[in-house]
Parts: sequence; structure tokens; C-alpha cells
Amino acid sequence: MARRTTDDEGGARLDRLVELLFKYRPFAFAKGSLAFDAPVPVWVIVVLALAAVGASTVWYSRHAGNLSRGTRVTLASLRAVAIAVLALALARPVLVLSTSVQQRNVVAVVVDDSRSMAVRDVDGGARGDVVTRLAGGADSSLLRALAERYQLRVFRLGGGGRLADASSVRYEGGRTRLASSLLRIEDDLAGVPTAGVVLLSDGADNSSADPGADPGEGGPAEQLLSLRARHVPVYTVGIGRERFERDVEVARVEAPRTVLRDASLFVQVVLVQRGYGGSRIPVVVEDSGRIVGTATAVLPRDGEAVSVRVRVPASEVGARLLEVKVPVQPGELIAENNARSTLVVVRDRREKILYVEGEPRFELKFLRRAVEGDNNIQLVTLLRSSRDKFLRLGVDDSLELATGFPRTREELFAYRGVVLGSLEAAFFTADQLRMLADFVGERGGGLLVLGGRDALGEGGYGGTAVSEALPLELQGVPEDAAAVATVQATPTAPGAGHPALQLAATDSANRARWATLPALTSVNRLGRAKPGATVLLNGIGDDGVASRPLLAFQRYGQGKAIVFGAQDSWLWQMDATIAVDDQTHETFWRQMLRWLVSDVPDRVETMIAEESGPGEGITIRAEVSDSGFLKANGAAVQGTVTTPSGVTQEVVLEWAVERDGEYRATYVPEGTGVHEVRLRAVVGRDTVNGASAYVRVAPPTSEYFGAEMRPALLRQVASETGGRYYPAERALDVARDMVYSASGATVVEKKDLWDMPALLVVMLVALGAEWALRRRRGVA
Amino acid sequence: MRVRRAWWLALAVCMPALTIAAQGFRGGRRGSPGREPNPNVPYDGRFTFVRVKFEPLGGGWDLKWDHDYPRAENHFMKILEELTTVKPYLEGSNILGFDDPALFRYPIAYVSEPGFWSMNEKEMAGLQAYVQKGGFIIFDDFAGQHWFNFERRWQEAFPGLTPVRLDKSHPIFDSFFRIESLDMDHPNYRGIKAEFWGAYEDNDPTKRLVMIANYNNDIGDYMEWSDEGFLPISLTNEAYKLAVNYIVYAMTH
Repeated sequence: MARRTTDDEGGARLDRLVELLFKYRPFAFAKGSLAFDAPVPVWVIVVLALAAVGASTVWYSRHAGNLSRGTRVTLASLRAVAIAVLALALARPVLVLSTSVQQRNVVAVVVDDSRSMAVRDVDGGARGDVVTRLAGGADSSLLRALAERYQLRVFRLGGGGRLADASSVRYEGGRTRLASSLLRIEDDLAGVPTAGVVLLSDGADNSSADPGADPGEGGPAEQLLSLRARHVPVYTVGIGRERFERDVEVARVEAPRTVLRDASLFVQVVLVQRGYGGSRIPVVVEDSGRIVGTATAVLPRDGEAVSVRVRVPASEVGARLLEVKVPVQPGELIAENNARSTLVVVRDRREKILYVEGEPRFELKFLRRAVEGDNNIQLVTLLRSSRDKFLRLGVDDSLELATGFPRTREELFAYRGVVLGSLEAAFFTADQLRMLADFVGERGGGLLVLGGRDALGEGGYGGTAVSEALPLELQGVPEDAAAVATVQATPTAPGAGHPALQLAATDSANRARWATLPALTSVNRLGRAKPGATVLLNGIGDDGVASRPLLAFQRYGQGKAIVFGAQDSWLWQMDATIAVDDQTHETFWRQMLRWLVSDVPDRVETMIAEESGPGEGITIRAEVSDSGFLKANGAAVQGTVTTPSGVTQEVVLEWAVERDGEYRATYVPEGTGVHEVRLRAVVGRDTVNGASAYVRVAPPTSEYFGAEMRPALLRQVASETGGRYYPAERALDVARDMVYSASGATVVEKKDLWDMPALLVVMLVALGAEWALRRRRGVA
Repeated sequence: MRVRRAWWLALAVCMPALTIAAQGFRGGRRGSPGREPNPNVPYDGRFTFVRVKFEPLGGGWDLKWDHDYPRAENHFMKILEELTTVKPYLEGSNILGFDDPALFRYPIAYVSEPGFWSMNEKEMAGLQAYVQKGGFIIFDDFAGQHWFNFERRWQEAFPGLTPVRLDKSHPIFDSFFRIESLDMDHPNYRGIKAEFWGAYEDNDPTKRLVMIANYNNDIGDYMEWSDEGFLPISLTNEAYKLAVNYIVYAMTH
């Protein structure tokens, strides 16, 4: 606040100083252009001035007095400055400006009527009170100042037609969409000579979270360009404080949109605060009123953010509305921003994962055992037990994998994840290796490569299409003698917080568990992580120093590729130090495989905003693929929206021509609560059902978040359109600056500058200094 | 059932004589190689043959658990490597007790002569943990009245986990080779038919076998002598097929 006040006061002082010295406000100089309107040609004045300067220089150089060379030069220079200023004045400089014709132009006064304008941060009053003072009636200060020269039209930012003044505005708008609202108002003024738009707002725009935003319309940046193209200057008046004194805000809540049942679910909560630095406050996560997770946050310094991770069970299937809350602190300005909701869909489906293994080994046995009782994981195993001899386990029917590893995209892409064991690259054809890479890059599947004597570089994968997808450089080659290294799996910083690596209920218990797990062995030489890859586990060698990446992943195209370089994670089950009832190994693999298939797209992928306001249109988008996961444009896509009360509504999605495989529809929800959207697509002869997607319909609360006054956007809107930004206390300057608007009905005026005080001051200072110096040297 | 009881009677009467005869067969027992075993090999992730040692009932110079060592495992590892994609440790094998923490790095263990098997408390705790965590045990080389000791020890370790007789439809007989018939003679006691017994995890036939017992059989003996032609090739082949299946089954279930 202090900085803002200083800036604003400094700006005001500068404006006044410029006006005092140069007759006109800086904005006038910014808008106009300089010219000379001398009664004689300017060159005549220049020649005369040069002659006068030359004469005075000669006179001083030949002066009989006892003057040093320096003094003579100084005196001649001062005389030259005075002559130059006189010459400049004689040349009659003018400022050429377009100015509004009185009462021939309209000025739109636009009032931000969103809820954030009700925040009481202006000397104990609400921001709306400032608006009332400025524009609450015909005799209010700003309207009166503007009305002297313009016809006024008052609008609400949220729409609803013209108003007489701002006195009737109720600050109940759920969202602020500055640029799009201004465009709409300017549309209303089409054909009317408009000198400018005056926007009274706190600048808290939340259009980026707009669920109804049509991707085809463009974002705020594009809308700003549209505003600029209208050539109507927008003068913005910022209302409110840039810094609250005391407030805690749940700034962000991040959680996966969908998780598989019993996955590790973490809600990441970001808090910002002012005035409570160092305090410890509880963070509570509720599911339908039940507390399902808690954590404690130590609030950081003012303006800084602190992130807290809260573990939440994902055992109940369906759409879970998680509400993150922190208690309202004494003296807090806004209580509504202490809670924020997020919607997490817990799915109960059986994810089909193909595990291809080149040799019978214990890693296979124990991995299968870890997930055999898991109803959400189907691990289909193809084991090459001898040359051309395969053992199939967990298949759906006798035909599945009957000919070995899939030979078509359709067959392979039916799986959502692939685990590649100790199986040399030469086992696959080049097409199959390419297909595996495409499984990740194009289909969006998860690929997990395990360590082993015939895996990774030692298995000959270096330089293959698969190696491109992997997150680590492969250093081994098949000719290498196996080098067995003992490694202690140690989570890196990203790994410590990763959902797949949570082995205990709390962070400290998790760290302790990892530290006490038995060491594993690795026979693969793995190099550094590729750019963009993340290492989650390092393998620390026997010496406690040497470290090699053990578990790493990277996004590759639409999917992700993971390398787990150990060959015997089953030691976490069998080792003598592991208790019989210990669940570490099972937990690790269940979480790993859930992570492997998380975010893997379906053939019909529904995309919808997480929340929407009542009556706001919701854009439902779907990406539809054929069985080979190529985008399908000719599909018939429709769906059913079910309200919380069970009422259903059919929607038909149309192909969005500009994007392959994308279909869209807009749906206006009725009532509040969580709405379910189920889509189905007919692609060729297939009818494919999409998974349920959910949207929460509730009065938007975004106005209470990030509610401090945001001058940056207001400044941007003003500068893009040729207007100017003013803090509220200088709002009346709008009327003075708008005179020079080039928009609407204008005339070109020449404003004399020859008589500006600055010229007189400079001339008097130069002559005064010359006289003083002559007197000092005894020649006056 | 009545037939089976009759078998028991006949075996109980004949077994001492048969055992003595077997000791003399092929030039007599080869001493007790387990008293001077080869050194254990270090763990490197590969499948390594592990033979379980124990204090044999009755003491004496014959350790029992070391019968067929090390030739049986040496031969078997070569065959396993030749036939399957398993990468076994070929340069040696291990001898470990159930009370040895190192055993838990080898989830398949071979117990020879369980008719003379004994355990102290520590060994029993080790066995229990080994099986409950996922270990698999092959009992071999016992016949006749040896069953009673085997069954008693097993029940001591796992009360209620009842061995059941397996038929050829069990997946363990189709995990690598398809075993068409379980009709097999004991290598030394001609006319005594082999039986295959197993125990399911939690006594649930839909779950994995935690052990298999080659009762009235001795596949270790078949494998030991497989390079010298003392025993019928066809039965030796069957012994190898069974042993390979056991390993593949235990590595996949």
C-alpha cells in the first residue's frame, strides 16, 4: 500500500509540475505533436539567433576585462542559451492536438459490478462506496466533471443495459471478464461518436477460469487486441488496495481430476497470506462434510506462498467434492477465500496392463502377486518361457495374445499400460518397436520398462524407437558382461512427494520406510536423465555416495514412459528384514501400476470444466479416436447429462472443424450440484462409451480469490487502447485528459507553447547567471 | 482308501530292507558330500539352486539332506538353462538352513529326504516366514513311512495347511511341459508309484501352491545319475520335466 501511494503521489506531482512548467499535462504531450507557427520562416529566426550568439561570443572573447578563458566561455554560453530560448519562443512552438468537441461526444462510464467490489478495503468502506462517490449520481464528482463536456452513458460491466448512474448497482456479479465485457459495451455504442470509455474497477479479472469460454473466441489477450482495433481509448480507474493488510487465502488447490480407486490421492494446497506470517494453521480437507485429511501449514512471509500436501483416501467411488478449508483468522478481511473446492472422480474400473517378460523370474512372480487381489488392475502376462514358447496369464479368453506379442495397433492399443521386462529388443520386429513407441506417444499409454539382464541398453534397446521414449540415456550394450550393482532406493525431492512412492501415512514415516528398505540390485547401466525427465528414485551404491537413477519418467507425446532399473524389487517382499505382514511391496506396485495408467485417454475422452456458475453455458468437448487411436472426424457423438436430482438431458456434439477428432456442444445446466456427463460415440461400426465426467454447478466464488486490486491489467487495457490508468484518488483527472481524445467528434487545435513558463524560467536563469558571474568578476 | 492303507502296511514292513538295499545300490552311498560342500555363491539376481540343510533325525554320518548333492543341481541347472529362458546360476549352488536370512533371497528351496527332517524353533519360524512371504519348497526323495515325519513337521509349521494330492490337471504340470501322466516309478523302489502332493496358500485351491512333495519319488536321484545311464532315460526325462515345471510354476505363481 505504501509503495502504491508513493507511486501515485509521485505521478500526480509530476503531472502538476509538467503542467506548471509546460502549460499542459503530460497526457496532452503524449497525444499531440509539436510544430512551429512563426510569422516569419523559422530559418530566418535561426540565422538571426546564430548571428546574435556569434556576436556575443566575439564580444566576450575581446572583452577588455581581466577574465579567464573559462569565464569567457561560460559567459558566452549562458548568453547563447538565453538567445536560443528567445529564438525558440519567437519561432512560436505549438502543440497540435485533436480535442473533443463539447457535447458532441459520448463517454461510457462502466462500473465493475462483481462481488469483489464489495470488499471493504478502502478506509473501512467498500470499493463500491468509492464508485458511488465518483458516479453515484448526476452531482457525483466524476460524472459532474465529465458531463461538462460529454454526454454520459453508464453501464454495468456484467451487462444489463444502460443506467442513469451507479447508485443502483448491486455488486453481485459472479465473474469479471474485463475485455469481453468492454467489447460488448463498445458494440452497444457502435455508430455513436464516443470519446472514450471510463472503467471503474478493481481489475480482478477471472475470465481465464470461465467454463463457458469458447476456445474459438480467443483468450483475454486476443480480446485486448480487438479492443485496441476499435480505437476507443479506455481510461481505467483502479479501486481498492493493491495489498491487503490481513488476509489468508487458499490460492490454489490441485488434485488429479480422476484417480483409480485406492490410489494415493494427494491434494496440493497453496496458501498465501498477509499479516499472519509465522502462524501455524490447520488445513482441513472435507468430503461431503466429513473430514478426510488434515495438515498443518506454517504461514510464510507476507505475499509468499506456502504449499501443503494433504493425503486423502480414494476408497469411495464416484465424484468426490473435496473442500479445502483453513480457519478464518482474527481480523481477516475476506472470509470467503479461506475455502476452495475441487472435484475428484474416483473410478472403479479394471485397467488392463500388458506385462511382457522374456524369462521366468521372481520379479514376474511377485509383481503378479502384488496385484492379484486388486480389482482395479488386470495384469495380462505374456511370458516367453522358451524360444517361441509363451505362457499367458490373466488373459480374457483363449484368443488373447494367442500369437504372441500384438502385431497390430488395435491389439496393442487396447491395453492402457505396458510393462516391459527382461526381454531383448531383437525379440520384436522394427514395426513392433515403433508401435510400442507410438503406444506412448500417440495412444497416450503408459510404458514401464523394468531392469534385467536383457532389458534396456543391455537388451539392445539403444537407438531403437523405444529408447526415444525412455527418460534415461541407455549406456549399456548387449555385449557387456553383467555388472551387478547393489543400490539403496532413495527418493529424490520430486519422488518424496510422488503418489506412486507413498509407503506410509505421513511424510516422515514415508521417509523412514524408504530408508529402511532392503537394497536391491541392478544390472543395467543407466545414464543421465533426458531433458524434461524426472528422476524419482536414485540408487545409492554400497559406498553410500555413488548414485544412479533408479526410477525416472518423462512425458513422451501423449503418454508417459517410466524406467525402473532394479531387477529384484521382490526383495521388498521376501527379504529377511521384511515382516511377514508388511505391505510395502504390494503398496509400491499397486501405486506404480495405477500411476502407469493414470491419465491414459479413452477412445472417447470427455473434457469439461471442473465448475461452473448457475446459468452459465458449459462447453463439453470430446476427443474421439478409432480403435487405432487415430482421431476420428466422422463420428456421431452424443451424450447424456444427469443432474443431481436425476433429470437427464441429451446433448449432441458437433465436430469442431479446426481440430481433428474434436467435438463440442454447449450445455446450460439447470440447478446446482454435481452434474454427470456421459458421452457415447459411433465410430464406424463401433459404439464407444466414454467414462463419466463431472462438473460442479455452484455460485462462483472466484471473485473472492486474488481480490486485491490489480492495476497491471487496468494499465494494460488503458495502454493498449490509447487511454490511461488512474488510481481512484486521481479519477477526476480523467475528465481533463479525455479532452485530448482522438476518438469521436474532434477538432484539431494548436496550443501555443511560446509562453510556457519553462522558457521564461530558462531564459531568466541563464541571464541571471551571466549577470551574477560578470558581477563576481568585476565586469558588470 | 482301503487299498492305500494296505500300501502303507506293506511299505512299513518292507522299507527298512529296501532302504538298506538302496544304500548299496550303485556301489553304495557316496559318503556325505554335504560335510564338505562347495562354498555358497553370492547373490546376483539369477535363479540359484538352494538346498535346505537340517539336522537329520537319528544323527549319524548320513546327513540325508545332501543326497544327490551337487550333481543333481549341477545337471538340473544346465538342463534348465538349455530348455528355458531362465537364466540360472551355473557356476554353483547354495546350501542354506531355514533359519538363514540369506535363504530369503532365493524364493525356491529344495528339501531332500524330508523323512528325516527336523527343525528347531528358529528354523520353523524361518520356514513359516519364507512360505508366507511367497517362498516355494520342493520336497523330494522320500517314500513309505517317511511320509509321517514329513507330514508331522509340515503340520507343526503350518497347522491346518493340509497337503493334498495333486492330479495332472493342476497348472504346475502344464507350466512348461505338458505332463501327460503322473504314473512314475520310484528310481530305487521299483513298483512303488510316485505321488504328488501340494499345499495351497490358505488351503484355497484357486491360490498358488506353496510347496510340492514328490512322495515315493526321487527326482534328485534321476537328475544326479542322468549322465551315467543308471536309471531309465524315459523316467529321467520325466524327472527333468517335473523339475522344470516346478521352477517355471514357482516363478510365475
